[in-house]
Amino acid sequence: MFERVGKDLVWRFRIGPITLALNPATLGTALGISLLLVLLALWLRRAIPKDPEAPPPRRLVLLVFLVDFMENQVLGGTSEKLRRSLLPLIATLFLFILACNLSSILPIPGMVAPTQDLNVTLGLALLVYSLTHVYGMRTKGVFRHLKGYLEPIPVMLPMNLIGDMGRTISHGFRLFGNILGGAIMATVSLPVMVELLLRFLGPILALPAIPIVGIGLTFVLNGFFGIFAGTIQALVFTLLAAAYIQAATE
Amino acid sequence: MGPEFVQAFKYLAAGLCMGLGAWGPAIGEGLIGSKAIESMARQPEMANTLLRTMIIADAIDETTGIYSLIVAIMILFVV
Repeated sequence: MFERVGKDLVWRFRIGPITLALNPATLGTALGISLLLVLLALWLRRAIPKDPEAPPPRRLVLLVFLVDFMENQVLGGTSEKLRRSLLPLIATLFLFILACNLSSILPIPGMVAPTQDLNVTLGLALLVYSLTHVYGMRTKGVFRHLKGYLEPIPVMLPMNLIGDMGRTISHGFRLFGNILGGAIMATVSLPVMVELLLRFLGPILALPAIPIVGIGLTFVLNGFFGIFAGTIQALVFTLLAAAYIQAATE
Repeated sequence: MGPEFVQAFKYLAAGLCMGLGAWGPAIGEGLIGSKAIESMARQPEMANTLLRTMIIADAIDETTGIYSLIVAIMILFVV
């Protein structure tokens, strides 16, 4: 019963010696979420009044809350100059990952959270990794940034490279593992619960109990793994991205 | 050794991998959480900074648990 988990339909192309795999469910959901976020951004931008004396609309509160949360909580440990330039990237990462994680609780058939796909999370982690180099070279200069790999002694170069690689891989795998683990738990728990009820209560008592327990269990599982863990993991991913970029500029 | 044995040991290995792999991060996250709460109670004005540091520390601590989860998933579905 668990064989289908994570093995949705995948399109494969062959370009010369390379085989490319594309998951249309992931791609479609990610593009849809991006479109929704763009629409949300446009809608929120219209809330900023042109005349500063005019009473602000209510949805401005959401915008102010988001920016304030990003500036003071997520980017609280960074310098003032870095904060200004990192804020759009970090806010976009947070909103995109949060929306992706929350999309796993929608009961739409064929729709999976894009963050359940290792390609998406590792891609985001690689994006953050390349940005650490960009920011490091911009603030410290190319030579001093590359010289950081020879610290404290030049023999440590392989260690530093392996450390970078492990950091990036664990950055991507953390989000992927948490979301996929939650999805597997949510998928597997319901059949197991039905099986347990049938075995211990008997078919006559279990029949009315299954809908009640099933609905309750669905709420609890989606609430915990979908909403709670999804929000925490989105926050963790962005906090770590900010910490990595900030560490590269020092 | 038939395929049933392979299947049985796959389930056993996945269970052991996840159980033992979740053990260390659980202890570590408990220590991080208790120390963070102690520090927050001592210095409530530092609570925001401590919360951020605690979440980062939890995330790094969790890494080995996530690795064992990936290995367990690979044992179950891929191998």
